[in-house]
Formats: sequence, structure tokens, C-alpha cells
Amino acid sequence: MPRSLEWYRSHRLGLEVFVFLNLAGLAPDIYLAHSTNAFREWTEYVPLVYSLIAPWLLLAAIAALQFGGKPAVWHWLGNFVGWASVLVGLSGLILHLDSRFFQEHTLDSLVYAAPFAAPLAYTGIGLLLIMNRLVDHESVEWPGWVLLLALIGFGGNFLFSVTDHAQNGFYHWTEWIPVVSSALAVGFLAVPLLIVVGRPYLALCAVVLVIQAIVGLLGFYFHLAADLHGTSPNFVENLIYGAPVLAPLLFPNLVLLSFLGLRVLNCHLRRAPALSATVDRNPEKVG
Amino acid sequence: MTFRSVFVALVLAGTLIVAAFAVNSKRPRVVTEQPTAALVRASGKCAECHSNQQYSVVHEYELSAHARKNVNCLECHRVAEGQKGRDHHGFTINTKVTAANCRACHEPIYQQFLRSRHAGPSWAAVAGSEPFTAQQIAFSEQFHPRSMKRPPHPLTHLEGESATQSGCISCHSIGKPNADGSIGTCAACHSRHTSSVELARLPSTCGQCHMGPDHSQIEIYAESKHGVMFEAQRAQLNLAAEPDKLSTRDMFVPTCATCHMSGLNGLAVTHDPSERLSYNLFAEITDKRPNFARAQAAMKDVCANCHTREVVERVYREAEAVVANTNEKVADIKAVVAGLHKDGLLSDRPFADPIDFEYFDLWHYDGRTSKHGAFMGGADFVQWHGNYPILKHTVEIKSMAKELRRNHAKKP
Repeated sequence: MPRSLEWYRSHRLGLEVFVFLNLAGLAPDIYLAHSTNAFREWTEYVPLVYSLIAPWLLLAAIAALQFGGKPAVWHWLGNFVGWASVLVGLSGLILHLDSRFFQEHTLDSLVYAAPFAAPLAYTGIGLLLIMNRLVDHESVEWPGWVLLLALIGFGGNFLFSVTDHAQNGFYHWTEWIPVVSSALAVGFLAVPLLIVVGRPYLALCAVVLVIQAIVGLLGFYFHLAADLHGTSPNFVENLIYGAPVLAPLLFPNLVLLSFLGLRVLNCHLRRAPALSATVDRNPEKVG
Repeated sequence: MTFRSVFVALVLAGTLIVAAFAVNSKRPRVVTEQPTAALVRASGKCAECHSNQQYSVVHEYELSAHARKNVNCLECHRVAEGQKGRDHHGFTINTKVTAANCRACHEPIYQQFLRSRHAGPSWAAVAGSEPFTAQQIAFSEQFHPRSMKRPPHPLTHLEGESATQSGCISCHSIGKPNADGSIGTCAACHSRHTSSVELARLPSTCGQCHMGPDHSQIEIYAESKHGVMFEAQRAQLNLAAEPDKLSTRDMFVPTCATCHMSGLNGLAVTHDPSERLSYNLFAEITDKRPNFARAQAAMKDVCANCHTREVVERVYREAEAVVANTNEKVADIKAVVAGLHKDGLLSDRPFADPIDFEYFDLWHYDGRTSKHGAFMGGADFVQWHGNYPILKHTVEIKSMAKELRRNHAKKP
């Protein structure tokens, strides 16, 4: 492969690009989400502003590494974006729960409060950036962390699907699909972290992940169709107050992250036929 | 690939799925068992904002029978026939809830209300017949002759719009026609988000309007044995009892609603107080209502739940004597004032001469108070607040009439 295309093979860079796209994509998502509340609290602007600034900082960090040969800049700037992201996410979690749940402590208030797990997307993204700097990307630990964070992401999707669709009382049976599928994703992605697995199992995981991607795209279609026939006078308001159109895309998004982890883990397995990220701590180099 | 890895994956996934089903099954049926997805969302989504913005509204609703019976915000705020909906954060709602919304579930009650003087006639008193359709006028006139085919009360014009708006309308709007074609608002007695039967049974609820010198029912009730016992034993009464199961075990002391509306011990509940009222006590000269015999029998049946027939008959006999006596006194003075008008000694405009106010006070304040007091056990109101001022005004009016005639005779 020509040297100019080598970045394709760099999973460390791949993860950075993944995080960049996610940070950039969160801006319109958070704009729609907090428009539901008409940005009533000033704190609701924080993730929006962060999502508008952070991608550029991260882009600068990536450029510093790839084109400037300044790994220190990449390291510190990325860490800054990562920790800020963790902070935004955790603050968001508390503020979302504070919208109702902390007053009532009921299942109902958990369902109808601002989606409490949503801000953790920022935390997950931040942890990916920090992990990418603290863990040797050529070690077997690296894909283990990627898979763990993808697994937590699917866990978040599971909670999202349950609580968001509970607001509808699971009125349509199809609303159970993402609940079942994300549970499957959590189950299958958890196994490599718990017990020794081989490459055939990773192939099965890939099949499960493809199903997740299909479910996500199907959800996008259903949500969009619902919004196109919404009760609001125009489409934008339907997008704001109707089914969250971007939310199902979290599924294919996490599939990409999982595939990144599986691909690297698969490379390790080519050398050692069966291993577990939790059992085998010997860092094996992957090319 | 080992079986163990697949097994562990499926067990983990299965556990999550079962947990999701289990938690969802624990959700209240008011939330999950709704006819539309919008109604499910409304069961919690509305409160998410409104509990922050107007906590009392949400809290009052949570205390209501509606909440206990799985009726959520959107059920009452949905767009009824004749109403214009408005988009509200993904819901199409009607913010001005009228009787048209309530009747969607409570049609028989609405029909009873329509037959009452609380409906059209109360609004016609301040606004005349103009705001009503011919059909609405004809409907109420069947039950309350001359109550709808009438001009607005002259005081509404004389006292000015602000006085009418902040004064008269506050009570009389209970029968205001709505743009959606319905009449009135149930919230006048049941409140909005509380939607409370208990509230409607409280004397103070009726007393919001039935008070003051022109219709001093709440003051009379407070003086009566009924009112005194209510004050003393209120805590032991079951004001929230189901209307169709209400008995004297729940309400062993009556409030206004108990006698005038409630279905005590199996009697039929009514939202038309006229069903149990045999006389037009409010009138200048009291006459029998069109349903006199049936209404009096109905009220006596209510009384009989606590009193012997002899006592009931005696109260009616004595009260009817007061009515007849008051009618005579009012008619006597009415003739004096009419004579002055006939002889051109008074202006044709209403409330233009001091004697107009004297006479209005005589029948509208003192006469009514005397008659209401007699039927409601308010001795002081029959005499000191009723017949005494009638006598005082009688003497004054006759003196004023004499003076007017003397002055008129002096004129060249």
C-alpha cells in the first residue's frame, strides 16, 4: 500500500476520526434535543457550544500528529477535548436527572425526565480520546477498551430504547426491536471481555453488529416517517417535538466503533488463536 | 467458536430483555393503557415541563379523581368539536377547556346543567339574549320563562364595563356561551385541574357567588343549624364520596350540594338545582316555578333523609307564609313606585332617581334575603336582614313618594 494511504490502516487515527465525526454530529443532535425545551436553562447551551468548538480542536490535534509531527500537541489537545467531553457528559447526566427524577425518585420520572443517559455520549467520546492517548494502540488492551466502550454505548442504547419508547407505552410492537437488538449487542460484545474467544466468535459478533446497523437504519426510517406525518405545523417542529430522528443512528454509529475494535482484535487473534482482552495482558504488536 | 461464549452472550442479552419487559409491566396502567400513543406521552410528558413552570397545576391534577381514573392532561385538553386546536410541543391541544370538553365524558351531567339557571340564564342576566343562538334561547326558555329573552341588567351599563368585567361576569360566566357552541364552564364549581367533587360539595364553593345582600345564601347557611354543624363536624364527613353512592353516612350534615344536587341515599343526582326548587325566590314577586309540584316533592324527599315529614311540612308551611307575606309587602311598594312612574314623577330611565335604589334594595336585597332565610333556616335573615329593612324601606319609600307628590303639586 502506498505510504499516502497508510492512514487507512491506522486504527488509532481511525478512532480519532470516529470521535471527530461524533463530536461534529452531536451539534445538530443537541440543537434539536434542547430545542424541545426551548433552551430554557443557560446550561443547555453548554453542550451545543462545546460540540461546535471541540471538533475543530480535535481536528487541529489530528493535524498536529499526522502532518505536523507534533505528538505532544496531539496528546495534550486531545486530552483537553477528552476531559472536557467527560465533564460535559457527567454534568449533563446530573442536570437531566435533576429535571425531575431527583425530586420524585420514581420510574415514571425516570422515563419522562430529560433522557438521563443521553449526555453520557459525550463521556464515552471523551473516554475514547483519553484511552487513545493512554493505551498503547498496538497492544491487545486497545481493542479491548474500544469494545468495552462500544459495549457501554450499546448499553446506553438499550436504556434509551427502553425509556424513550416507554414514553409511547411501546404503542407499536416495533418499538421493542431496538430493545431486543441492543440487548443482543451488549450480550455478544461483553463475552470477549469476560471469557476467552476465538475468531469464529468475532465473526458471529460481526453478524450481530450488522443486525444492529439494520435496526438503526430501520429506526431512522420509522422516526423520519413519524415526523413527516407529525401533528406540528411544519417539519422542523415535528423534528424537534416528534420522534428523535437522529437517535436510531447511534446503532450504526456504534457498529462502526465495534468493527474498529473487532478488526484490531481479529489481527491479534491471527497471531494467538484464542485470547481474551481481560485474560491475556501481553501486549502483542499488530501491523 | 465455543458454545460457552454464545451461551453467555445469549444469557446476558436475555436477562436484559426480560428486565426491560418486567420493568415495563410495572408501569401504571394509566400510563401504558391509553388509546393513542399521544395520550401515553401526555401522561408524563406534560408534567415534565409544567411541574417546573406551574407546579400547582400538575399537583392539583395529581390529587384529582381524573388522575385516579387514568384520565390524563390530553383527554381534557384535546380539541373538541367546534374548537380550534393549537400545536403545543408536538401535541395538538385546546388550551381553553370548556363544557364541550367535559361533556365528551359527562354528557348527561352537561344536559342537566343546560336545563339549570346556572347555564344560559345566568349569562343572559348580564349580557342579555344577544350572545345566544335562537336554539339556545328557546331551550332555556322552556324551563325558565323570560330568563333568556331579556335585555342585560341595566346596572351593567350604568356601573360601567370594568365593574361588570371584574364583578358581575366573574360569577355569571358560569353560563357564558362558548365559541365552540357549548355553554358554560364546569370549572366554576369543580375547579380546573382539581376537577373535584369534594370541592363542589363545599359550601364555600357555592358561596363564591351565592353571597352578599342580593343572594346571601352562604351567610344564611352559616347561621343555620346545618352550617353550624358542618363547621363542627366537617372533619368527619366524607365529602369525596362517590356521587352515586353518597349516603347520609357520608354526609350526615348537609352542605348546599347535598340538598340541591346530590343523590343522597339513592336519590337521583342532578346538576340542575332547579329540579328541587319550587319557587322563584329571586324574583321581585315570587311565583311558582313551572315544575313546582315535582320540584317541591323532590326537595322534600331529600329533607326526609334526616327529618320527619311533619318537620319538613312545617318548615315549608312557615316559609311559604314568609314568601306570601313578602310578596304582599313588595307588591304594595311596587304599586307605589309604579304610580309615581305613571304620574310622570319619576324618570323612565332605570336607577335614575333615589327612590329607584330604595325600591331595588327592598325587593332585591331585603325581600330575597327574607325568603331565602325562611327556607334555609336563617332566622336572623328573615327578620333583621329581611323584614326589618323591608319595613324601613317601605316607610322611606312611602315618605319619599309623598314628598315627590307634594313637590309636584307645588309646581306651577
